Amino acid sequence: MAINPLGLIAGATAFLGIWFGHVSVRRIEAQSTKLWHPMVIYLAAGLILELGAFFMSNKALSMVCGITGITLLWDVLEFKRQERRVQKGHAQPNPANPRHAVLLIEPGALATKDEDPSSQSRSTTSDSKIAQPVDGVQRP
Amino acid sequence: MNTFGLVIGLCSLLIIGLGFPIVILCERYLGYLWWPYMMGIGLLITLSSLLILTDWLSALTGILGVTLIWGSTELREQSRRAEAGWFPNNPNKITPPYENVIKKLKAPRL
Repeated sequence: MAINPLGLIAGATAFLGIWFGHVSVRRIEAQSTKLWHPMVIYLAAGLILELGAFFMSNKALSMVCGITGITLLWDVLEFKRQERRVQKGHAQPNPANPRHAVLLIEPGALATKDEDPSSQSRSTTSDSKIAQPVDGVQRP
Repeated sequence: MNTFGLVIGLCSLLIIGLGFPIVILCERYLGYLWWPYMMGIGLLITLSSLLILTDWLSALTGILGVTLIWGSTELREQSRRAEAGWFPNNPNKITPPYENVIKKLKAPRL
């Protein structure tokens, strides 16, 4: 019986791409003082990979580049979305990051460093895990 | 010039995008305890891609399968978001078969 590994390769690439984006966007957004730096790097890497996919004659390699490139391009948007999650208090801010520190001192800011019982996101649940940066990409 | 990778990449974006409403609706109407079933279906779809000889169809099937596997790991997080009020919370969820067994398992989170 003939077996076609292309689907498994595509699936594994997509899974690892989503995973990498999911973790890296949250971590880099929390550390980066200027968000446009990683955004430009991801954009360039995504475009280079898409260009590589276009010129590669091997189907599997072309597909791996195509899928990885697209996930990196999506991650460019996810950086802004993650920043918005922090602003809304849906993801934990990093007080050591000046970009996030501003959010913590702004009057009426939704981003909170400590457990705040008056915070809407926490008052409805006793699960402290909700205070963690739970929102991520792609996470489909 | 090979457009295969580019087209599959764009299609993967659409399929991954489809995962968002699948997770939200599955959690809302069924609940996060259905995660082993979603993971199992995802695994079966991914493995079935091995038997599809048409390259583009095999690739898209594989991506659909892993999207469901990823979605199964997101169900618990989605239920926490619903509990926190970020998404509508439906109290009348359909309980899965072998609910008590599933409750003893730790829902995966990536």
